[in-house]
Amino acid sequence: MAEVGQPAGANWDRSIVERFEGPLVRFAVRITGDLESARDVVQETFLRIFTGNRASADGHEAQWLFTVCRRRALDVARKEHRMNVATDQQLAGQRTPAPGPAAVVENGETAGTILRLLATLPANQQEVVRLRFQNGLSYREIAGVTQLSVSNVGFLMHTAIATIRRRLAVPADARGDGRSKS
Amino acid sequence: MTINFNDPRLTAYALGELDEKERAEIEALLAGSEDARREVEDIRRTSELLTQELAAEPSPGLSDAQRAALANRLAETDGRAARPAKRRRFLRPRVWIPTALAASFVLAAGVAYFNWPSLLSQASRPSNELANLSHVKDDATSSRVHGVGQEQSLWIRSVPSAREAPTARRERLTRDKEGSEVVASTSDRALHGVTREEMARMIAEAPAKLFICPSSTEGSYSDSGNPPPVDFSQYENVSYGYQVPQPPAAQPPAVPGGGGGQSILGGSAERVGGSSPGHGRPLDKIPPEQLSRLLAEIGSRVPDMGRSAPGSLSEAEMPDDPELMEDLKRLIAAQLAAGADLGFSTEAYDHIVENPFLLVTQEPLSTFSIDVDTASYANIRRYLTGGQFPPAAAVRLEEMINYFTYDYPQPAGDEPFSVNVAIADCPWDGRHRLARIGLKGYEIPDDERPASNLVFLIDVSGSMQPANKLPLLKQSMRMLVNNLRDDDSVAIVVYAGSSGEVLSPTYGFARGEILAALDRLQSGGNTNGGAGIQLAYDLAVSRYIEGGINRVILATDGDFNVGVTSQGELVELIERKAKSGVFLTVLGFGMGNLKDSTLEKLADKGNGNYAYIDTLNEAQKVLVEEMGATLMTIAKDVKIQIEFNPATVAAYRLLGYENRLLAAQDFNDDTKDAGEIGAGHTVTALYEIILAGEAVDVPEVDPLKYQAATAVAPAAMSGETMTVKLRYKEPEEDESSLLEFPVTDSGTTLADASDDFAFAAAVASFGMLLRDSPYQGDWSYDAAIELAGSALGDDAFGYRAEFIDLVARARDLAARQP
Repeated sequence: MAEVGQPAGANWDRSIVERFEGPLVRFAVRITGDLESARDVVQETFLRIFTGNRASADGHEAQWLFTVCRRRALDVARKEHRMNVATDQQLAGQRTPAPGPAAVVENGETAGTILRLLATLPANQQEVVRLRFQNGLSYREIAGVTQLSVSNVGFLMHTAIATIRRRLAVPADARGDGRSKS
Repeated sequence: MTINFNDPRLTAYALGELDEKERAEIEALLAGSEDARREVEDIRRTSELLTQELAAEPSPGLSDAQRAALANRLAETDGRAARPAKRRRFLRPRVWIPTALAASFVLAAGVAYFNWPSLLSQASRPSNELANLSHVKDDATSSRVHGVGQEQSLWIRSVPSAREAPTARRERLTRDKEGSEVVASTSDRALHGVTREEMARMIAEAPAKLFICPSSTEGSYSDSGNPPPVDFSQYENVSYGYQVPQPPAAQPPAVPGGGGGQSILGGSAERVGGSSPGHGRPLDKIPPEQLSRLLAEIGSRVPDMGRSAPGSLSEAEMPDDPELMEDLKRLIAAQLAAGADLGFSTEAYDHIVENPFLLVTQEPLSTFSIDVDTASYANIRRYLTGGQFPPAAAVRLEEMINYFTYDYPQPAGDEPFSVNVAIADCPWDGRHRLARIGLKGYEIPDDERPASNLVFLIDVSGSMQPANKLPLLKQSMRMLVNNLRDDDSVAIVVYAGSSGEVLSPTYGFARGEILAALDRLQSGGNTNGGAGIQLAYDLAVSRYIEGGINRVILATDGDFNVGVTSQGELVELIERKAKSGVFLTVLGFGMGNLKDSTLEKLADKGNGNYAYIDTLNEAQKVLVEEMGATLMTIAKDVKIQIEFNPATVAAYRLLGYENRLLAAQDFNDDTKDAGEIGAGHTVTALYEIILAGEAVDVPEVDPLKYQAATAVAPAAMSGETMTVKLRYKEPEEDESSLLEFPVTDSGTTLADASDDFAFAAAVASFGMLLRDSPYQGDWSYDAAIELAGSALGDDAFGYRAEFIDLVARARDLAARQP
């Protein structure tokens, strides 16, 4: 198999970049902790799929891209010895289009109760939740990306949602917060 | 039919992830239970909220330059593979180490992140290094990032990019014989001692040894310049990290454990089927069923590699071919590098190196400071009940043991505490003995407790918002306030972006005002811990009660991110403040972001204690039941020194207290800080002892050439095992008192040992299992459960029963790992 089949040409490539660029960077930055390395990781990921992996990725591009991206990102993070995933402070910054620190903080406090609750979960639970609800991957695909078993993914997902629900419910006045304030 | 709401299938059902059979089962359940239907509905609603909010999360995407480069690249090649040399134009190579085939994208297939240097560096690098990384803004990109703007510096917090420290991260290009580029970072500590040439050679040799490529594709490789995808599916089932390894899938489709063996490429089955083993590679000589065991064994021998089952192979079964060993290690490294473990989180723990066995002839003295912290146990409980193993560094044996109270007698004389030593069989190694030193501080009835001057220093930053942080904190503090006497005073200082006094010192009789002030607390903003600490101590000093309880109670998740943020500076600040005579209690809250290492150091240096509050029950334990112990210090700078008798003891090992070890000479040095003991506190330390004459597995040193072995003093013939010495100071004294007890082993068996002894041993053994300690022998979770179960005592509050429950969880978790 000297030549790897190409499902489509450059158009396919472009649509892949357009579709996955944002999600992959968002995903990678949570692992690398900084945007610069996350972008490099994502670019590398794209290059890999275009360089001889179209066939293998065909039909499950999302899983392929997230898998390769995750591995590279972990690799980089490990290399730099920085396991600091973006904290909620940083995410507060991400949600706010730079209107100055005070406003950033203010917004970070009131927007998105669910996201804040999500940010308190263990990293592996956050990861499966994001892969599912942000990127639309199935349990099976998530298992492929994260190297977990499908049942393990199911367990993490269940625990994550249960915890978020529980915390939404306590304190009593917090119920519905996410909707009313965001 | 009963519904188990912990059944993950409920969520799977709500998300449409079940196959037909399971779906039918769940639907049958739902038909019979309205609760279950509501549960599923709730899950769906939460999922919708998640989807909505997550969809609104923006992403900066690639930079314009990167997009342009990608577009160029697509235009140039019209979808064909790039020539390696072109890559550098748009892909800034960073720290990755491609193989010799790197430029030709063997890596593209994903598995070949040949990266053992990073693995080694993980093991060798001190974790607090993170704290020292500088904040440097990346000006090349920050100006244009969508939706990130000036918050960019936050993103890069403690994360230097390649340009930030050019000297430290100089990237080096070498050329391999095919003229393609090999990029390696010279900054990686693991590379110290490895020459460039060696490095280049390792890289060059790696792929040939590491990958078992189908031979047919090998042939085509050099012709096309466009490498085939490497079939790595055969490695996929050998997983590491927090998982028990599985047999490799080299013989598909025998994939055990369901799902654990998926190729990352999805359609693995046909790919596996199409591959045939290569020829003449060392790895090929190993039968596949043996490979995973080998990998597990080797993996378990490398520190920090994860929790693969150790000791499954004897030395004799290990391959003696050094080349092969290298290959296996690389394979493990590749697995790890490929993300086979899950070890990332924003929680920060300091690495712990377990105390080894020490020879009495070489180190007759063992000196350490007591530690009354209990946070580690509560934290471990939080992990395990959440269905996860705690990281090894979060497992501190002494804090687990000291979480439980033991029924030691009250001190009889003038001393502030009683000292209780016992020696019996070591449960996890029948050849060894286990010595327990237990201290019990005297108890003070509540009405005799001196008046308190408390300053609550409460973190109300944005990160404290979740229900298990500020809301739980408020409830906890309310319980404490309700137990205060009328003559106690409380002030509240909050800190976030700025800090301030929200309640000036108020006496206990005005309890309503204190509670109202607590109720008003709201979270928001950054965390400027330094300024808050300053203010709180100032307040405490201004109301200092001579002979009373003067204490700052810091409640936080520990994530100080504004103002004084480095762990070193904070610790120094606290250390200075502790000299004022005000003690410190640190209450850790929350999860996912807990800066355990910082908090423990603060408590240690601030003459204080550290507890982790995960539930209201835990708050009840720490702030109500053990209020006296938590608040009232009865002796400070308590140090223990054991002198072992070489005539009876060959070697010893202190369990836990790794970060409380003192130099032998510090014992008599009253300027050296040590731990505090509170009213009614119990503190327990365990030593595993190898008796003289028993085999000792400690590396031998050559006999000295110029010194004869020291003569043994007559006292050694007394038959005593050891002498326990303690030093302590009264809370407001500067001079220490000394206690000394000779101890003789009376040969007690484990069966005859007290419940307290056996229970402490069970707790320690559980910690060793969680840490995957090299000293655990063939001890198991079941054995720990049995031992603890035999030693429940009266267990008034049910903590010991809860412990057994926790061990069972760990056991089930270990069994569930694929």
